[in-house]
Amino acid sequence: MFSGRNWVARGLYLLLNICSLEVYGGLVQSCGHILPESPVLALGSNFTALCILNESCLDFGNIYASQIIWKIKNRVVPREQYREINRTVSSVTFNDTSSLATPLTCNILADGQIEQNIYGITVTLGLPPEKPKNLSCIVHQVLKLTYPMTCTWNPGRHTFLDTQFRLKYRWPHENFPDCIPKDVNNSCTINEVLFFVNLEVWVEATNALGKAESDPLVLDPIDIVKPLPPHNLSVNSGILPTVLKLSWENRISVAVMKLKFNIRYRIIGDTNWMQVPPEDTASPRTSFSVQGLRPYTEYVFSIRCMKEDGVGYWSNWSEEKTGVTTEDKPSKGPAIWRIIDASHSPASWTVHLMWKALEPFEANGVILQYEVTVRPKSSLSSPPERFNVNTTNLTLKLPNGTYEVAVIARNRVGASPPSVLLIPASNSKAPVKNVRTLPKDGKLWVGWTAPNTYILKYVIEWCLVSNSSDCIIEWQNEPGNVQGTYLKGDIKPFKCYLITVYPLYADGQGSGQSVKAYLQQDRPSKGPTVQTKKVGKAEAVLTWNHLTVDEQNGFIRSYTIFYKTIDGNETAVTVDPSKTEYTLSSLASDTLYTVRMMAYTDEGGRSGPDFTFTTQKFGKGEIEAIVVPVCLAFLLIVLLGVLFCFNKRDLIKKHIWPIVPDPSKSNIAQWSPQVPAKHNFSSKDQMYPEGSFTDVSVVEIEADDKKSFSEQDLKPFDLLKKEKSTSEGHSSGIGGSSCMSSPRQSVSDSDEGETTQNTSSTVQYSTVVLNGYRDQTPVQVFSRSESTQPLLDSEERSEDHAGGGDSTTRRQQYFKQSGGQDEASADRPCFEGTKQITSDDEGDLVRFAQLQVLSQSSQLLGFDLEKDTQEAALSDVSETSTEGQMVRPETGEGNPASVDQMPKSYLPQTVRQGGYMPQ
Amino acid sequence: GDSWGILTFLCAALCNLPALPALNCTEEPGAGQNIQKTYDLTRYLEHQLRTLAGTYLNYLGPPFNEPDFNPPRLAHAERVPSATVDLDLWRGLTDNARLAANYRAYSRLLCYLRALDGQTGTAELRHRLGHFCSSLQGLVLSIAGVMSSLGYPLPVGPSAPPGAPGAPNDFLKKMDDFWLLKELQTWLWRSAKDFNRLKKKVPPAVVTLRLETRGF
Repeated sequence: MFSGRNWVARGLYLLLNICSLEVYGGLVQSCGHILPESPVLALGSNFTALCILNESCLDFGNIYASQIIWKIKNRVVPREQYREINRTVSSVTFNDTSSLATPLTCNILADGQIEQNIYGITVTLGLPPEKPKNLSCIVHQVLKLTYPMTCTWNPGRHTFLDTQFRLKYRWPHENFPDCIPKDVNNSCTINEVLFFVNLEVWVEATNALGKAESDPLVLDPIDIVKPLPPHNLSVNSGILPTVLKLSWENRISVAVMKLKFNIRYRIIGDTNWMQVPPEDTASPRTSFSVQGLRPYTEYVFSIRCMKEDGVGYWSNWSEEKTGVTTEDKPSKGPAIWRIIDASHSPASWTVHLMWKALEPFEANGVILQYEVTVRPKSSLSSPPERFNVNTTNLTLKLPNGTYEVAVIARNRVGASPPSVLLIPASNSKAPVKNVRTLPKDGKLWVGWTAPNTYILKYVIEWCLVSNSSDCIIEWQNEPGNVQGTYLKGDIKPFKCYLITVYPLYADGQGSGQSVKAYLQQDRPSKGPTVQTKKVGKAEAVLTWNHLTVDEQNGFIRSYTIFYKTIDGNETAVTVDPSKTEYTLSSLASDTLYTVRMMAYTDEGGRSGPDFTFTTQKFGKGEIEAIVVPVCLAFLLIVLLGVLFCFNKRDLIKKHIWPIVPDPSKSNIAQWSPQVPAKHNFSSKDQMYPEGSFTDVSVVEIEADDKKSFSEQDLKPFDLLKKEKSTSEGHSSGIGGSSCMSSPRQSVSDSDEGETTQNTSSTVQYSTVVLNGYRDQTPVQVFSRSESTQPLLDSEERSEDHAGGGDSTTRRQQYFKQSGGQDEASADRPCFEGTKQITSDDEGDLVRFAQLQVLSQSSQLLGFDLEKDTQEAALSDVSETSTEGQMVRPETGEGNPASVDQMPKSYLPQTVRQGGYMPQ
Repeated sequence: GDSWGILTFLCAALCNLPALPALNCTEEPGAGQNIQKTYDLTRYLEHQLRTLAGTYLNYLGPPFNEPDFNPPRLAHAERVPSATVDLDLWRGLTDNARLAANYRAYSRLLCYLRALDGQTGTAELRHRLGHFCSSLQGLVLSIAGVMSSLGYPLPVGPSAPPGAPGAPNDFLKKMDDFWLLKELQTWLWRSAKDFNRLKKKVPPAVVTLRLETRGF
């Protein structure tokens, strides 16, 4: 739509132009013109143009050549380039046309000022053609009889003009039509050429500025043919397994040209081509037998050809064809090796025979089966055992001995030569030395030093050492003349391989020499986990486990132990990789240490986890060193004390246990018919015979005595009463028995009245030991009696008193005391009496109170032996025992209320007195 | 004095040797090469004619395409130059005469062949004929080249085909065509022999040694 409108507009514009031209040229008529009209100029040349004015205009407009102005486009050409030839002609000269442009106009200044265009020309600038160079031709065979010839040349520089190229060719006396290139300027194809006549070929370039011809090329087209490659190639296997016969068709007649050939071939899958020697195929032919091929191998063939004399071009390679050679018998026996397992029974071996499948170039066909022959060496007479197997291994159970094992591979054509392996009783021959490895080009190289004797071949065994899997043995054979080889297998980096080299001799084999190797090492995948085995004050024994093979990733060259305190610097210690224990010394005591361990391979190290421990405060034996002497010292002191005591026992005894005259040893006792039984005394008493310890009275409450708290206690009381009454006669009779009497009695004696006090107070009579009743601290009072003799009296008196007629009244009194406080006041006179006594005494309050108590108990003894309301009394005792203690200090103050309570605590003492009852 | 002169000559020759294109291998194809090419071309034409004749005779139809078709030579067909020359007579000719006879014969045969060209039917056949014609033209030129290289004069203007009227009928015209092809075959066979013989006579590559000495 838009373009259509555009065209219409252009059309109108053209029409207008034409009209105006006609008006200008026809009616108005142009006032002049330029010569030359529309020139084509060579760049760089000089150029002169003329503007010729019409005579009519001269008259009409008064214009002359001197008024002419030349312009290139809108630029005025300098006046120096103008020349006024005559009145009507002006010329302009350009020394270099490269400054020119279109249009070049001739103008005039009419009436002095107004510039009017007279005429204009277009100027075309360009270059003449260069001589075409490097002309060359080739005849491509397109079809069997079609031979177009293509010639190419170098057209030279760009001319900026329309330049025509023509390929010209001719016979000596005959011209042919030119070949005009289509769309290109540097090649042309002649459809049909004739052979065996020389052809002259050249290129002609033409444009407005000139013409140029290339050097002619004289050639016979037959000499520049690039033929089509032979076709219908076929490959046939011949009779021999190493020969394949090729045949093909040539697509160019022998009459046209004789051919020679190149044949190339390769094993399928291989990329390298081999070539049949060119001289073998340098003559025309349509078939060829390729020899020296491998049996049972697929080959790819391809062929090309050219003129026999080598003039011209080689054809392209033909399409590829494959062919397979026929089978041949295997060229060699399979490589064989064994693993002998002697662990099952001592008398026989399990022999795992294994052999390698032959390479295709050795197998020469499809291996159908393997024949294994096992012949015992020791007894040659015994027939060999034969096994036919399809696999490449065989497990045999053989009695110990030497065997010759032979393996033969068999294919359709025949059998291989046998591979023989000796299975000896022991690997007794010389081993190889200095087995070493080296990673090279991503492969692992194993080298060794051969023993001095002749080696048949070597077996290199290797396996990957790993924790996770068993060592799966791989192996390979190497000829006896080498001393190093690459391992043929998938050797992985960072894995440990155990490589063993066995030399095989004609009559046995040497023992294997092993080496461990890595194709490539890495840092260990983890560090060792370190921990303490023992921690002391200044040292710690660290222990760790070796990294597993899988974790090592290389040879562990060293361990480094790093240890530090929390704020201290890290200290590193390098440890030999064979160790699993190390003792850190010079540590600070009672300090927290962090320790970690790095394992290093050649490639670097990796750290294990941190482990912390605290050193001990005291060293080993330090505590013992303190404790033992202290104990010893203590013991020594004790011993010394004991010795001292022992030495000074008399003194001590005198101090603690003053010798009290034993009444029983007195003369008066000698006539006593009976010695009172002492069975109630403790064993201690018994240890000392009578007399030696007579001044000690120990009062204990036996378990039996405690029963006296029960209801049966009535009886002992009765018994006591009875005994007292019965022994009254004796005691009254025997004055000395008073020492056996209870302290209560003696106290009660002292308590009894002022009458006895002055006589008996001079002699220490007895010691009263009071066991604490129910956790109460006993109070020991040693009361001395100065009197020796009046004891009997007082005893008698107390007995008399106890057995006195008004016992009932006393008992009543007692009950009144226990019954209520109000009645206690009635008894006050009695206590007042004791109070007076104690006030006389200058002893401390406790003693005083005790004395009070003792006096009370004696009173109780005196009055209450015949108590029949035992239970009530017991309950009272239990109630008042605590109260009694509490009120004891108050008694010193003479508080009547507390004193009233005191008698209640007498009851247990009464009970204690029961212990004396057997007396 | 003589020996001195010879020495001077040798010295001058040696001095000028590097400066001069002393050994010149002639650029222009020699006679032997021309003969070889002509021979090859003859063989090539023979080969072409073999296929062309088969196709053309088939085009003519029976009985011409029958293998054992052997008509007697008619006097009418005399306008086609006969190759049936007595062998001894032919051998007795000089090289020049033989070449000239070849030249004349092929020139004439070419004229007939060109006349044949325009009439034939299929484009394929026409194309083949055209190619054969061009090649035959090349042979004529080749023979001329051999003659000139051997220094023999070219036979004066090949006798224009006589303005003999065309064959009176179609069969006779076909018969002419048959004989033309037959004669062509015979001539080509014989030419091949001729050129082979000539090839042996003239060494294949002529290397002209020109010693240019300026002093002499």
